[in-house]
Amino acid sequence: MIVSPRRKTARTAQYVALGCYLVFLGFPLLWMLSVSFKGPRELVELHPHLIPSQATLQNYRDALTQNDLPHSAWNSTKVATATAILTTLVGLPAAYVLARQKGLIARLGLGWILLSQMFPLVLIIIPLFLLLRQLHLTNSHIGLVFVYMVWTLPFILWMLQSYVRGIPRDLEEAAMVDGAGRLYVLRTVIAPLLAPGVVVTALFAFITSWNEFFLALVLLQTPDKTTLPLRLAQFVGIEGIPRLGPLAASALLATLPSLLLFTIIQRWLTRGLLSGAVKG
Amino acid sequence: MTTVPEPQPLLRLGRRGRAGVGLSSREALFLLVPAMVPILILSVAPLVRGIYLGFTDSRAGFGVKTHFIGIDNFRMLLHDNLFINSFKIGLIWAASVTAIQFCLALGLALLLSQPIRGRWLARSLALVPWAMPSVVVGIMWKLFFQPQAGVLNELLYRGHLPGSNIDWLSSFSWALPAIILVGVWAGMPQTTVALLAGVQGIRDELHEAAAVDGATTLQRFWTITLPQLRPVIVAITTLDFIWNFNSFGLVYVLTQGGPGHQTELPMLFAYNEAFKYGAFGYASALGDAMVVVIAFVLGFYLWGRLKEAS
Amino acid sequence: MRRLLTLSTAVVLCAALAAAAAQAVPRKHSVVNLTFATYVWQPTTVAATKQIVDSWNKSHAGIQVQILPVDVNSVHDKLLTNFVGGTAADIVHDEAADIGGFSQQGYLANLSPLIPKSLKAEIPKSVWDTVNLGSKIMGVPIMLQTYNVFANMDLLKAAGVKAPTIASPWTWTKFRQVAKQLTTGGNYGVCWGLRSPTATIQTLALNFGGQFNYLQNGKWTFKWGAGEQAIPKIMHDMIYVDHSIDTAAIGLSGSAVLPAFFGGKCAMTVQGNYQAQGMIQQGPKGFNWALFPPLKGQSQNQAANPQTYSISQQSQHKAEAMQFIAYALNAQNMAKLAAGDWLIPAAPAAGKIVIRSTKHYGSWKNAISAVPYFRKANWVSIAAYPQWKAEIATPAFRSYLADKISLDELGKQLSDGWTKIHG
Repeated sequence: MIVSPRRKTARTAQYVALGCYLVFLGFPLLWMLSVSFKGPRELVELHPHLIPSQATLQNYRDALTQNDLPHSAWNSTKVATATAILTTLVGLPAAYVLARQKGLIARLGLGWILLSQMFPLVLIIIPLFLLLRQLHLTNSHIGLVFVYMVWTLPFILWMLQSYVRGIPRDLEEAAMVDGAGRLYVLRTVIAPLLAPGVVVTALFAFITSWNEFFLALVLLQTPDKTTLPLRLAQFVGIEGIPRLGPLAASALLATLPSLLLFTIIQRWLTRGLLSGAVKG
Repeated sequence: MTTVPEPQPLLRLGRRGRAGVGLSSREALFLLVPAMVPILILSVAPLVRGIYLGFTDSRAGFGVKTHFIGIDNFRMLLHDNLFINSFKIGLIWAASVTAIQFCLALGLALLLSQPIRGRWLARSLALVPWAMPSVVVGIMWKLFFQPQAGVLNELLYRGHLPGSNIDWLSSFSWALPAIILVGVWAGMPQTTVALLAGVQGIRDELHEAAAVDGATTLQRFWTITLPQLRPVIVAITTLDFIWNFNSFGLVYVLTQGGPGHQTELPMLFAYNEAFKYGAFGYASALGDAMVVVIAFVLGFYLWGRLKEAS
Repeated sequence: MRRLLTLSTAVVLCAALAAAAAQAVPRKHSVVNLTFATYVWQPTTVAATKQIVDSWNKSHAGIQVQILPVDVNSVHDKLLTNFVGGTAADIVHDEAADIGGFSQQGYLANLSPLIPKSLKAEIPKSVWDTVNLGSKIMGVPIMLQTYNVFANMDLLKAAGVKAPTIASPWTWTKFRQVAKQLTTGGNYGVCWGLRSPTATIQTLALNFGGQFNYLQNGKWTFKWGAGEQAIPKIMHDMIYVDHSIDTAAIGLSGSAVLPAFFGGKCAMTVQGNYQAQGMIQQGPKGFNWALFPPLKGQSQNQAANPQTYSISQQSQHKAEAMQFIAYALNAQNMAKLAAGDWLIPAAPAAGKIVIRSTKHYGSWKNAISAVPYFRKANWVSIAAYPQWKAEIATPAFRSYLADKISLDELGKQLSDGWTKIHG
């Protein structure tokens, strides 16, 4: 098939454009990767190069052994896992109702999901802080998990309810007509079909709480409870010469889990969001 | 099971649900309670109280009592040039980031919907900002903008372009454009995904028919793609604008609102008022003001949707 | 359905109960547990603090102290959230200019009745004045800093410039002249990190008698006179008239300009005297640095703004906390802390104990020579100061140093800001 010259220029233009996008999206990350392999002498050179002239793993070693990073990573893991599990457990039944029920409650629920995205966090954080103080849940991972749960619920509910919607009602109807109880039907018919969607949602909840910063900043007070983003933020401003190499290495290590998980779920993620985005 | 007998109401019917599958209101309530209770306690109640705090003189202090003071906070806000500054910066930031992000994301979405090689890489990279914690995004771009050993200044230097000596994030003139760039980068995923879904949802027949009629790519873009995308565009730009206006974490890590309040978004100003100076009532009043702006934007969007529907 | 709901409610309740139980601290009736929040960050001071706490814990089985590290860049914010949240430590490490606000909010205990006579006598009255807010003592002073010129002696010698001595220090005029002389061939005379210029400007303003705040009819007012304007103007002119300060570096923090200084890009730098520790630890081998005696305006006076230990009002064990503070700040221990940070101890007795033997010019001797020049600055003890500093002063000074506003406009912003915050 002869490709017309017009088509060819169009194609080339598309590749160039794509290349530009790739550079724009990927270059900062590439640079940070480069910094993470440079030694302290090379980092203060006035004319840096992309490829380190003397690559070193010392920054990564420093990142893993100093500054309490592994401990805060462990804190983040605990909090994120608990949030993911709790949010999914709590969200699933509610999402089912929102997807199936057409009544006032469902509409309120969906309305709240949308509306809650709009309110600036500052309005909520002060009374929330004061409330948690009364319950002695400030500076506690338990308190943080509950707050995260409520904070991620809107998006989780949105995703889950679109997954539930994806399962035709007829399936449930048919099963229940045979005399099966609703719970049984949910367990044996719906659950397996929902499983992939639930896994994606839970992983998304994990990533969101792993990455979260503002709420942790306000609610966690002592260093032993710090989560990873918080620790990194403190790293950034340290008095004394900022050690860029370990900082870059730490930042990369910190983002690795969420990057990995995100790559895994991204295909299903876009599918799950499609219905939400298009219907608006 | 080969035949499905007549559905019989074995369960109590919901008020509106279809027979059999419909949930009774009692069942619905049971299923909603585990979610509703924490939401009411940890989200709705604080939100209501937060809105109320804007009308009080609540502040930090041992044994200090809170009093209702009506609209005094709002009067103070209007005379506070830092408040006006933060809203100005917030609107400029939100508008710029949303607009630029939209253009770039649209371009990317159109590209990704074409069958070109390497688009899987672009798709994955486009989602990366979403996966990264805002702190890491901040660190990454701080390294990029570093004055003395950073890559941007190095590239400018090699290209013999001006500006290779500028400390971007500390510059009174350049800090805001710099963080807008970062904001665009960080927000690309959501917008691209939404637009891509929209683009892929446009029926091929429309394009084919137009192509048969001799329309050029550009004409097809204007007359088919854009109008078809309109609901998605309006939805995602409204959401983006609101999210950007409310933004905090990224700019906190990049500049803390500096230098000299040049990048102090409303949320940053509120954070300082609340957690640096302990002026809780004042900060909440600021939050209320932000809600008013957002309500306007939302109202605009809904009005547009209503017009469309009619 | 109902069973599932009851089951999940039970699980959630159990989780909450377990959490509450885990949070409850086991009570040992005979041991008092104190928490000590401190922002020490130099490795030597961190080690000194740890050693002091360990030796206390060994010898005082009934009062055990636990260190809570605080990030030095967000001390104020963290303290505020801790105080509001009721999770403040018993002993709180801060600085005199910052504790005014917290005192007014009622978060700090009045130490006057608690301070043992021996501790009181150790520290001179002029230093106690800095932590005295309305006849209530809000913190115990630990150590003080000055701002000094550090110089690369190799570059100075090569240009034939002689170092100042304690007997004949440099004036600001001389400093400017040397800086200009050493600005050649792409290198600068001075690297000055002016990201947070307020403390530097206000501390050095006492060289010209600039107090910024004056008591008028029982009210603290703000004045923008010659004394206040001197230092900002010198800085501004060095950047934009003499071109002896690297413009690219003024947005950097004080410590961030050290690489350029070590690399020979600038001959001198102005730093807190504690940076001598940074010179030792971060400087290249054989780097010939010197710490000069304080610069002289009309005088060599600098504002006294000591680091302090306070006791939180919410503490249940104030008396025990003071016992620990008295121990941590006895002459030997205060000397250890000050030596670790290269800061000047508040107690002269401790100052005598600190022995710094370095080959570097003057150094400790030059640092200690500043002691007679500490003066009380009015702004240190005013409750509204911390907010004015963060919200008004720092942005305004930075605007001026970035040449965005004039000197008069700077004064207007500072003054209007003071009226807005303090009234």
